[in-house]
Amino acid sequence: MFIHIFTYRLKCLLRDKEMIFWTLLFPLLLGTFFKMALGGIHDNSFETINIAVVQSDSYNVSSDFKNVLERVSTGDKPMFNVTETDILGARKLIEERKVIAYLTVDDEIKVFVQQSGLGQTIVKIFVENYQQSAAAVETILMKDPQNMDTIGGLLSTRHNYLSEVPISNSEPNGILIAFYSLIAMTCVFGATMGLKEVMDIQADQSERAARSSLVPVNKLKRYLYSMAASLVIHFGEVVLLIAYLHFALGVDFGERTPYIFLTALIGSATGLSFGSFISSVVKKSEGIKTAIMVSTTMIGSFLAGMMFHQIKYIVSENVPFLAMINPVNIITDAFYSLYYYDTLRRYWLNMGLATIFIIIFSVGTYLVLRRQKYASI
Amino acid sequence: MIISVKNLVKRYGDLLALDHLSLEVNEGEIYGLLGPNGSGKTTAINCILSLLDYHKGEIEVFGKPMSPNAYDIKKNIGVIMQNVAVFEELTSYENIDYFCGLYVNDKALRRQMVEEAIEFVGLNEFRKFYPKKLSGGLLRRLNIACGIAHKPKLIILDEPTVAVDPQSRNKILEGIVELNRQGATIVYTSHYMEEVERICSKITILDKGKVIATGTKDQLKSMITLGETITVETYDITKDQIELIRNLPHMSQVEYKDNLLIIKSDKGKNNLEIILDFIKKQNINFGKIYTELPTLNDVFLEITGKELRD
Ligand SMILES: Nc1ncnc2c1ncn2[C@@H]1O[C@H](COP(=O)(O)OP(=O)(O)O)[C@@H](O)[C@H]1O
Ligand SMILES: [Mg+2]
Repeated sequence: MFIHIFTYRLKCLLRDKEMIFWTLLFPLLLGTFFKMALGGIHDNSFETINIAVVQSDSYNVSSDFKNVLERVSTGDKPMFNVTETDILGARKLIEERKVIAYLTVDDEIKVFVQQSGLGQTIVKIFVENYQQSAAAVETILMKDPQNMDTIGGLLSTRHNYLSEVPISNSEPNGILIAFYSLIAMTCVFGATMGLKEVMDIQADQSERAARSSLVPVNKLKRYLYSMAASLVIHFGEVVLLIAYLHFALGVDFGERTPYIFLTALIGSATGLSFGSFISSVVKKSEGIKTAIMVSTTMIGSFLAGMMFHQIKYIVSENVPFLAMINPVNIITDAFYSLYYYDTLRRYWLNMGLATIFIIIFSVGTYLVLRRQKYASI
Repeated sequence: MIISVKNLVKRYGDLLALDHLSLEVNEGEIYGLLGPNGSGKTTAINCILSLLDYHKGEIEVFGKPMSPNAYDIKKNIGVIMQNVAVFEELTSYENIDYFCGLYVNDKALRRQMVEEAIEFVGLNEFRKFYPKKLSGGLLRRLNIACGIAHKPKLIILDEPTVAVDPQSRNKILEGIVELNRQGATIVYTSHYMEEVERICSKITILDKGKVIATGTKDQLKSMITLGETITVETYDITKDQIELIRNLPHMSQVEYKDNLLIIKSDKGKNNLEIILDFIKKQNINFGKIYTELPTLNDVFLEITGKELRD
């Protein structure tokens, strides 16, 4: 009986074009669109940043800074490509986007930018770091000018800057968040399948369900067998999406492949159980249920940072509770913590939260499904 | 006894949908449940099938109390619900096979049963069609095939001919008789009295959730006083003449409308003769003249005071 129900359900799901569109094609298109809109910036590999420095007396005498700047502008993978010019030249360069920032050196070093972005942030942090450690640098240099290498190395280590870039300003993180939350949204969109499962099992929700209630097979069994097919399909869709994002669009997921699969599985289950829960407790038409589901998923995706990644941090900072009850955010964060953190603590926290959701949704669904006779159909 | 319902009461909120309904279906019958729209036929069926909760009453099927988990009972029932309930994503063949497979595990047996069902409803050319591509009549036939493929002992059909072209309707009615001939007990609901009259061996007439009469069609017709309805097509009858007809013996009701004189007469042997005599004597010109025996509509009309037709 399992095989009979399971295989026919697979057929039904695979032939449901609308469903496949929303749960697979739409996310693929959206991912492609993200890639086009956000361009190659997601590329985490470091590119040399073009900057200008305004010539001035202070600059010319500030040999330490000049040295450091020169050190980080040469070599195999230089951090900066520095143009020395006057103030008008610098303004022109930034205007024409030939450089992304220019520096003026007086008593202190100032950074001028026109836009914000990763490059600009790195320039700022570089300068801040230099100024903070200027005294130390001076001392070291006075003692042993050969130490230039150490200092240059210190200041140019890319990792230092990236890890210090506040998360909310960092472009690569922002773009990863967009892609991760897209996957999370897809997981939660699986709710449409959960919704369909319940509509096809609750006799007061559809003709097919009423008809199916008359067969000599236990209701809960029919539901679980059928749900298994939905889970397989939806998990497959999420894995396809991840594969597409990774192999075709070059989105980086880090190295922990088994955990990525686990996240996809838990994520799919979260979506399915969410949909079945909504479908069980909301005694309204399919249209209204779908509307509730799609709108909560979209709001959830927005709050998880799909459109503006800053939102994710604003929510986490100010309304942490909301971040914790938003399934899209939880799954986004799971992918993110797999990529970003060395330890799995935060990852397991997210997985735990998702599992709690699955349990709550499933118990809620069960309490409704348990009923086999209806007041009205 | 195949189905026994005693004092079934079902309310939807304030609406009393079934009012102490009792009925008995015996083996081998084609049992007709006849009543106008909203009389409670579907509600009764859904209660019998344990889909609906009811407030009072006892329901037994195959001599055992019916419940949602009574799988040994359900195994032997085939249901064709009022609304077509098939899977849009499955072809005709797959739909029948899916439902049949929920009753029959043996694959070879199942394949044979599905083939027979397809043959039976005449869907052979359409086996690969998706429901969306089927006309209303073919869709109904598919719905029926899904309900009967597993060869149930009891087949319940809820208005299977609504919105169906005459050709499909005929095929469906013949099919039901054939299923009965092969041994199935049938429960058939309809608001078309002609259909019920044509195929049912026992009929229960429902109105407002109540049984108003039950019996064979002859038993039902003998319950009323009406003997026959005589219709005369005429263009030149006067009011006085109509009044005279009214006063003839056995004529209970006379109406003249749209050039048709409709006379209802009590039971008696020579009502038509009396009318013909009168027309001849009065020199009334007439076109058609014919007489009809009472229909179930007349039974319904006489008991409830309203027409059964929509
Ligand atoms: N789900 C429901 N909720 C409220 N009233 C209903 C419902 N289903 C049927 N009814 C009412 O119950 C009565 C019987 O309906 P039904 O059993 O469908 O009649 P039939 O099948 O003879 O047309 C009607 O008055 C109908 O309006
Ligand atoms: Mg009905």
